[in-house]
Amino acid sequence: MADTRERTQMSLLRRDRQLRPDLALVIPYLLLTALGLVMIYSASAPRLEALGVSPSREVEQQAAFVLIGFASFAIVSVVDLRVVRSWVPAIYIGSVVTLILVLSPFGEEVKGAQRWIQLGSIRFQPSEIAKLAVILALAMLLSGAARPMKWDRVARAVAIVAVPAVLIFLQPDLGTMLTFGFIAAVMVFIAGATWRQMAALLVGGVIATVAVFQTGVIKAYQIARLTAFLDETGDVLNTQYNQYQSQIAIGTGGLFGKGLFNGTQTNLRFVPEQASDFIFTAVGEQLGFLGSVFVLFLFGVIIWRTLVAAANGRDRFSQLTATGVAALIAFHVFVNIGMTVRVMPVTGLPLPFMSSGGTVFVAMSVALGMAHSVWMRRSPLVGERTISID
Amino acid sequence: MNGTWRLATVGLVMAVMMGALGLRLWSIQVTETDEYTAEAERNLVRLVPTPAPRGDIYDRNGKLLAGTTASLAVVVDMGLVEDDFEEDLAQRLAAFLDEPASNIMERFENANSGAQLILAKDLTEQQALTLVEHREDFPGVAVIPQPVRDYPNAELAAQVLGYIGKPSAADLERPEVKGTDVVGKAGVERYYDDQLRGTEGVIKYQVDAGRSVLQRLGEDESAPGNNLILTIDSGVQEQLQVSLEGGLAMARSLEMAERAEAIEEQDIRTRLFLANEEAQLEAQRAAIAERAAAAEASEDGTVDEDSIALETPEAIDEGAVLGSLYWGLPIDESGVCVPVQRVEVGVGSRTLLSGSRERTMRLDAVLENGSQRVAVVDIDGEQYEVEEGDTFATTLRVIAVEQDALVVSHSDKWCPVRSVGVVEDPNDGSIIAMASYPSFDPEAFVNGLTQSQWESLGTINAFTNFAVQGQYAPASTFKVVSYILALEEGIYPLDRPINDRTLGDESPAVDDAAADEAAADDAAAEGEETSTTTVPPSDDELLPLTSDTDLYNCTGSLRFRFNDGSSQVYRDWKRNGHGPLDLHGALQASCDLYFWEIALRVWNERSDETGINNEDLWQEWARSFGFGTETGVDLPFEKPGLIPDRQWFREEQRKNTGRVRSTGPWVGGDLMNAVVGQGTVLVTPLQLANGFSAMLNGGTLWEPRVVAEMVNQDGEVVDENEKATIGAVDLDPGTVEALRLDMQQVVNGPIGTARSAFAGFGPNVSSVGGKTGTAEIIKSTEDVQEVDTAWFVGVAPVESPEYVVTVVVERGGSGGRVAAPVARQVLQYLVNGKNWVTPLEAGAEAD
Repeated sequence: MADTRERTQMSLLRRDRQLRPDLALVIPYLLLTALGLVMIYSASAPRLEALGVSPSREVEQQAAFVLIGFASFAIVSVVDLRVVRSWVPAIYIGSVVTLILVLSPFGEEVKGAQRWIQLGSIRFQPSEIAKLAVILALAMLLSGAARPMKWDRVARAVAIVAVPAVLIFLQPDLGTMLTFGFIAAVMVFIAGATWRQMAALLVGGVIATVAVFQTGVIKAYQIARLTAFLDETGDVLNTQYNQYQSQIAIGTGGLFGKGLFNGTQTNLRFVPEQASDFIFTAVGEQLGFLGSVFVLFLFGVIIWRTLVAAANGRDRFSQLTATGVAALIAFHVFVNIGMTVRVMPVTGLPLPFMSSGGTVFVAMSVALGMAHSVWMRRSPLVGERTISID
Repeated sequence: MNGTWRLATVGLVMAVMMGALGLRLWSIQVTETDEYTAEAERNLVRLVPTPAPRGDIYDRNGKLLAGTTASLAVVVDMGLVEDDFEEDLAQRLAAFLDEPASNIMERFENANSGAQLILAKDLTEQQALTLVEHREDFPGVAVIPQPVRDYPNAELAAQVLGYIGKPSAADLERPEVKGTDVVGKAGVERYYDDQLRGTEGVIKYQVDAGRSVLQRLGEDESAPGNNLILTIDSGVQEQLQVSLEGGLAMARSLEMAERAEAIEEQDIRTRLFLANEEAQLEAQRAAIAERAAAAEASEDGTVDEDSIALETPEAIDEGAVLGSLYWGLPIDESGVCVPVQRVEVGVGSRTLLSGSRERTMRLDAVLENGSQRVAVVDIDGEQYEVEEGDTFATTLRVIAVEQDALVVSHSDKWCPVRSVGVVEDPNDGSIIAMASYPSFDPEAFVNGLTQSQWESLGTINAFTNFAVQGQYAPASTFKVVSYILALEEGIYPLDRPINDRTLGDESPAVDDAAADEAAADDAAAEGEETSTTTVPPSDDELLPLTSDTDLYNCTGSLRFRFNDGSSQVYRDWKRNGHGPLDLHGALQASCDLYFWEIALRVWNERSDETGINNEDLWQEWARSFGFGTETGVDLPFEKPGLIPDRQWFREEQRKNTGRVRSTGPWVGGDLMNAVVGQGTVLVTPLQLANGFSAMLNGGTLWEPRVVAEMVNQDGEVVDENEKATIGAVDLDPGTVEALRLDMQQVVNGPIGTARSAFAGFGPNVSSVGGKTGTAEIIKSTEDVQEVDTAWFVGVAPVESPEYVVTVVVERGGSGGRVAAPVARQVLQYLVNGKNWVTPLEAGAEAD
């Protein structure tokens, strides 16, 4: 087995150095990023202006991360994932260590949650990196899975997710924890889990979630915030305020939107966390239904291309990694936009490529780069004959 | 890859997730977008109401009585202040306004979240400018010109103007009134509130999520209310108020002088008592009789019963009662009586009760007796256990028993309490002046009264306009009704040498046994009464006088013999009588007997063979001049007064209201009382002025009014409160002429009851007329407290009346002595001008 893999890799590198980018993936990625910057500006400028600082300050900061993100995307795209494979244990362990550091006095608390870590002048969120680490670790574990999958492998997969999930839960960051659950479920399913195993995972997940609420780590106000979206008659001035204002903002957009910089909700700061978690409200208000659907469409294309990459992955590790990336992006998009239109609770998951935030953007770019890399080394490549690995 | 279906499944799941979001977006952004747009508008715009300035009130000469000034006020819009910023803001405002931050914070906390809190008024221009310049440091704070009610003349016409205040629950039922408004609570301010209040404006601000104002979007300006032009003449009003105040002071000092005499008398008696106990008791019994007689009463009279009740015989037995009673009555610093004082004493402490001899009141303990608290009080060694509402130590009444304190009212129910006056133009019903004293300054309400102000003014009812709300027995002034009845109907007394007379019914006081039957079967009773009128032979031999100039011998007392052999004497206020008088002389000298005789004839002829029904003849005449119903004046809370008749009497008896005797029918004695304005007859001072106006102007009963017209802010008349009649009486011009002349004689004639009060009037005294009245103490009822009332109704010029002046001094004593001099001053002002007003001086005691 190992030999075959070695040979295909060698032949690939040798025979076709011309790696072609997947424009159907790259162009939506660039469009979403660009649109994200415009939206960040429109959402942050009035507030910054009121504070007496440059209105473009936030967008400039984001632009710097975008450049880093683009570079990361490009680099990861050309790196063969199979090279990365040997580093996976190290990446995973390193990620777990930083998650522990976050909870230690090195970590920084922002708005009641300990999510940040400061390294010199760089501040980043280890949980974003942990998402990549978990995808890679699961891919590695599950790539060797028998069909049908053995129960012990399911258990190991759960263990791999559980360690960072518990650490993230302690921050607490319920959104990221649920992201792990979704990614794991999708990847285990793709890796060939039986329906009974899937059912067991689902039941286990529900029990774990309920148990989590019992521990008391999640405070009452956080529970209230999580469940507020279910309450139609609830308190729109307090627990539901953000979502309610966000929903109004999107609702006022109508079919065509109010036009850029004409969003009263957005520009008058009715929607909090406008540039980060609630960036989609700026889209909804200013660009209307058509703009919103266009954004959904771009995400749909990216997810589609990622799944196609998975389908054409040269090996199971690549396939599973690309699947994990698709799950990551899809879950973020669904939960984030769902939150702004009040079908999902407020969990603090950012909108990929658009929300303001450095670590997220870079991490998402790296994730997309991994999927892109899988596509560029897909099997069969043009002019290549089909080789069956299994 | 053989697991492609799994990827396809995942793809399908993700497609469904995206699709769900799309559908949700469709429903929010396309289907329901209008609702969200409306909601966003509400988010964006904040409406700040701007109060409308109240309309001004002017007197008939254009003098400002109530105006609105703009005061630069610091208004905090609590809706624009974020909760966590309140503390900061309070600190900053504290420094700016020089007021403790804790005070401001407290007001923030008590305010509703959307309230417009007025923190400070009367900002200087400089202060306002500073605040506006540092607007960003004071988010939610604005400097707004706030209309503030201004009463530049303090107490002038206060009860006519009324006052404004926070709306009551009833006020809030009016759709246009909000809880933050002010509304008229009394007087013109209340009656014309709709005209005066105007329409509130609103300023629209665009705000952001931080609720700070971004820009002013526009303003619907408030529309000020209409101005009112009153019929009041400030000059007359001021004179009336000065005279009323002086009159009350005079009545009090007269009262004090009387008391001093009584006390002196008491001292002598006490010495006598020490010398000879028996002799003392005898002397006292004589004193009782004497005093009772002085109160125009006798043992068997109806009126006197009440007078005697005043000096309870048991009390007399205890010794030096009259004297000690006077000693214990409350007085002020200058030693003059006051109607009521509020006294509070804590447990274990003592306080002095004012009086010509002070008493010490000590509260020993407050006991909890179930739900009731009982206070154990010691007054000069005498122990009392009292509960709330109890009366004790003669002059004290418990207002409240608190856990560790006792609040009592220390009152003097004989001290002259109030003077009331009305000046009306008899030619159109307009009120030229109207006041009652004590009064108040409506300005005090603008900023809200303090508890103690409210209590002290409230206990003397200073806010009440007694000219329309006070109901009094009109006494002899009411003789004019019978006077006109006599002239118009040709009913005069029976001619007789001696005033000894058979009454055709049961005595009101004597016969209680027959009353039940009579009440049960009225028709039978009436028949019986009618038949008895013909029984006494003495009356049959007498013929009635035939004209108003026929003389009647007013001997001073009228004796009735009843069928059962008992008898009763009615005495004139002048015990020795007035001698021979015709109708005109009877009015001028205010002879009771003459008018009682008229009542008797009306009574005895109430149902005769010719089919004439005179049962309600007198009442009909009284009512035709507006008595017994509200006049409809444009002031709130007007009282109707009362003209009693048989039906009313029976109704009151059935309901057991306590206003009439519990048994016995309506009898001739009741009518006799009513004819001289006593008994249960009640009028308001305004009714009396208006009724006299109708009699003097030839029979037109005007609807009195205090507002002449309503004018908008551009000076255009929006509503003319035109004069209106509420009735007309067909009077013979001779009757009117006679009344004017006789009223002139009351003031000018040799036997006139107001002659002495008008001595020194100055020029034109011959064109001034009037009628005095002195109401006896009547039995207190729920509506009317025990009062004796001094009246004077004046008119000038008598040839063609322009002013009717009514003055009442509640508990004032004699009308000729107390009320007439007050009216005299007002008439001096009206007839001769301000410089001719001479100081008050008590007139001769006359009815």
